[in-house]
Amino acid sequence: ATRLTVASLLGEDKPETLVWHHIRDQVEAALPGRFAFAIVANAALGGEKEVAEAMRLGAVQASLFTVSALAGWAPEVQLLDLPFLFRDADHVRAVVSGPEGGRLKDLLVAQGFVAPDFIDYGARHLLTKTPVTRPEEIAGKRIRVLQSPLHTRLWSAFGATPVGIPIPETYNALQTGVADAMDLTKSAYAGFRLYEVVPFLTETGHIRASGVVAFSAAFWNGLSEEERAVFRAASRAGAARFNALMVADEERSIALAQENGATVLQPEDRAAWEAGARGVWQDFAETVGGLERIEAVRSLG
Amino acid sequence: MSAVFAASPGRALRLAATIEAALGTVCGGLLAALLALVLATVLLRYGFSAGFAGAEELGIWLHVALVFLGAPLSLAGALAMRFDGIVQRLPRGGERAAAVVADALTVAAALVLALGGGRVVGMLGGVSPALGLPEGLRFVAPALGGGLMLAVLALRRIGEGRGAGLSLSLAAGLLLYAASNALALPAGLPPSAALGLFALLGLAAGAPLPHAFLAAAQLAVPFGSPLPGEAIVSATVGGLSKFLLTAIPFFLLAGGLLTVSGAAARIVCLAASLVGHRRAGLAQTALLTSVLFSGASGSSVANAAFGAATFQPELVRNGYPPARAGAVVAAASVLDNVIPPSIAFLILAVATELPVGPLLAWGFAAGGVMALCLAAAIHLTAGDETALPRAEAAERRRAAGRALPALGLGAVVVLGIRLGIVTTTEAAALAALYTLLLCLAAKSGGMPVAAAFRQAGAEAAAIGLLIGSAAPFAFLLAVDGVAGLVSSFAGGLGLGAAGVLLAVNLMLLAVGLVLDIGAAILLFAPIVLPLAVAAGIDPVHFGVVLVVNLMIGGLTPPVGILVLVVSGVTRVPAAALFAAVLPFLAALLVALALLSAGALLL
Ligand code: NA
Ligand code: NA
Repeated sequence: ATRLTVASLLGEDKPETLVWHHIRDQVEAALPGRFAFAIVANAALGGEKEVAEAMRLGAVQASLFTVSALAGWAPEVQLLDLPFLFRDADHVRAVVSGPEGGRLKDLLVAQGFVAPDFIDYGARHLLTKTPVTRPEEIAGKRIRVLQSPLHTRLWSAFGATPVGIPIPETYNALQTGVADAMDLTKSAYAGFRLYEVVPFLTETGHIRASGVVAFSAAFWNGLSEEERAVFRAASRAGAARFNALMVADEERSIALAQENGATVLQPEDRAAWEAGARGVWQDFAETVGGLERIEAVRSLG
Repeated sequence: MSAVFAASPGRALRLAATIEAALGTVCGGLLAALLALVLATVLLRYGFSAGFAGAEELGIWLHVALVFLGAPLSLAGALAMRFDGIVQRLPRGGERAAAVVADALTVAAALVLALGGGRVVGMLGGVSPALGLPEGLRFVAPALGGGLMLAVLALRRIGEGRGAGLSLSLAAGLLLYAASNALALPAGLPPSAALGLFALLGLAAGAPLPHAFLAAAQLAVPFGSPLPGEAIVSATVGGLSKFLLTAIPFFLLAGGLLTVSGAAARIVCLAASLVGHRRAGLAQTALLTSVLFSGASGSSVANAAFGAATFQPELVRNGYPPARAGAVVAAASVLDNVIPPSIAFLILAVATELPVGPLLAWGFAAGGVMALCLAAAIHLTAGDETALPRAEAAERRRAAGRALPALGLGAVVVLGIRLGIVTTTEAAALAALYTLLLCLAAKSGGMPVAAAFRQAGAEAAAIGLLIGSAAPFAFLLAVDGVAGLVSSFAGGLGLGAAGVLLAVNLMLLAVGLVLDIGAAILLFAPIVLPLAVAAGIDPVHFGVVLVVNLMIGGLTPPVGILVLVVSGVTRVPAAALFAAVLPFLAALLVALALLSAGALLL
């Protein structure tokens, strides 16, 4: 059997790992005994960036990635990360299923990442120690951000001070007050028990965390046409399963957070939030293929 | 090269020394740049309400460069992290043969870094979005460091008149490297087992541990290892590319500068004046100081290095045998990852989703139990080396006054973290800055301060290389599903709560013999936690037991990172330290038994 090493960042019972069990089972059903999946959970093979590098160097054959993890190789994928560009999950799905999605897949293939389908990790929401519903209320606060110019630029636009803190230090930093706020998906909010230190979640949904099911080009190129078709179909079914699992996980997560004292708030003055984000669109227009492309994506769906 | 230097061994040694001096300066400079970067981040945040998106990544890049450009500095001496317990017992011929084998592994490791690193530079692609620099740039340092490691090794051996042995080692190393890339052996031994076996053999031959790990990762390729040479380098770099790890060079630097400024001596003067007249009073004070420091730092490795740089020399100056003084420091540094803040608990919480708050609360309790057990061990094993005259009250007050600036260091770190001004890494940088100011105030002079930067840089490089080189092993263990095999075996035994706890403790102690604590937590905590919960053990209590257990592994051969770090800084041979640490190991095992009993009863 052909061996393939699959890396997952989270535990055995998480959608990130379950999706690979699903894909493995379908491949096994279609091509019995042809492939041996070694699915390694719990980020035991490294974080997202290390796994992406390992894939380029031939040590890992498949994994899920957020598009931002692949931005170093294909900067255009940051189109899917632009803040306040997408209305909801269906909007994202319409974009990645269309020609724009195909173009991004081609760019990823050129960099050694074969991505049969896109996945949706859910939206990032604003998490704060005190209630924040309007953009002016975040001004002057220290917000923990991902170490990416896109995120730094977004929160600076609202007058907040971006603080770069690695995720293992984040809980402590929010507890002690090095940072007053951060942004994350609902699943991760509950997963890291951050409701204990940032009890207010404002449903800004400012960034739709999109990702891909990806295989290394070296592995993919070694497959026959028939095998590729099986992997492609299995990946698409896996992506659909992942998205459904994430929706269910988000509902469970937010219920758990609320049981533990979290308050869910609705953002006010959406126009002002979007106005702040437009500066990011301008800054990234050249990187992601022009303002016209951004506007086209915005009006889709 | 041998032809040029064969006639003049002196010239070879001088050239090696020149390369080492230049690399030392580079490492000191990189450390200074890293310090400036982290301090600038804090200044930007509070002075200008601004942040710099690439700061974290740039910090990691600088740390990676520091580790690999400093790698050639730890070929000899205790920084090499060699286990010499077996080699020492060999007859003269065997000792020479072992030295050739050990050098061959160093050659193979250097080739992995130089050639693998070089290939990564070409293959990796991509541009760091935060820095706007090619990602491959990070791997120039491993490639360069590997090449320089080879050059320094050759020059040193020629200088020592061991040209013949060098030729053998070079030939064997090259052959091993080439053969491992060309051969494919029939499946049999799992790659992780092959790596473990080769690493153990290398360790027995007296090869530096990081070199044994890297060479063994390469030798596992014919056994079906999924990591080709370039991926070994990438995994190694990835293993140390954690921003939290940059706290290590800062605490090392703080330790060095505290000594340069004379403040460390004053702390020990105060300690001596307070409890020096008691049985093993100074060692007790070193323990107490470590407990206090645990409240400020979350890295046992950093604290071991700090204690080794500051308190071990003072203990020795006061009549302690060097090995026992080092053992006290190594054992006390275990507390760092148990008493919060603790990097180990944070990794555990991330790996298992256990709540951080209760973990830290129980960490305090566990740290207390362990400190008491260590205090008892120090009391019971004390010789007659500590009898000092009882100090007068006025003398004590004077000592306290003189030690105040040094004690302020603890306050800076503790208050900085507790008041939410800085993160752990930033607190470490502030500690380094504080000690730099102490040096200025004491007019210590530029030369000793620069030497402290070079020294801390070289030590951080040796420690970083060890942490990184364990990562390919962790990768193979994970791919081979070793943790899963263990858990299904344990599950099949059908044990009760006490049985599960005992079995898991024994297994983790075995794991701790050879695996770094971070990797061990990430690999085994998610596997054994469900076993414990199914047996009715409270997950938080179990998590604390797990961390304490794995921390004890830091004191056990062959891979006892805390002992190796203390050995690296103090130059006391690792074998002597492992022997001297036995009573404290016993004390910590008693503490582990008490905590395990507590987990069952509470
Ligand atoms: Na600590
Ligand atoms: Na050990």
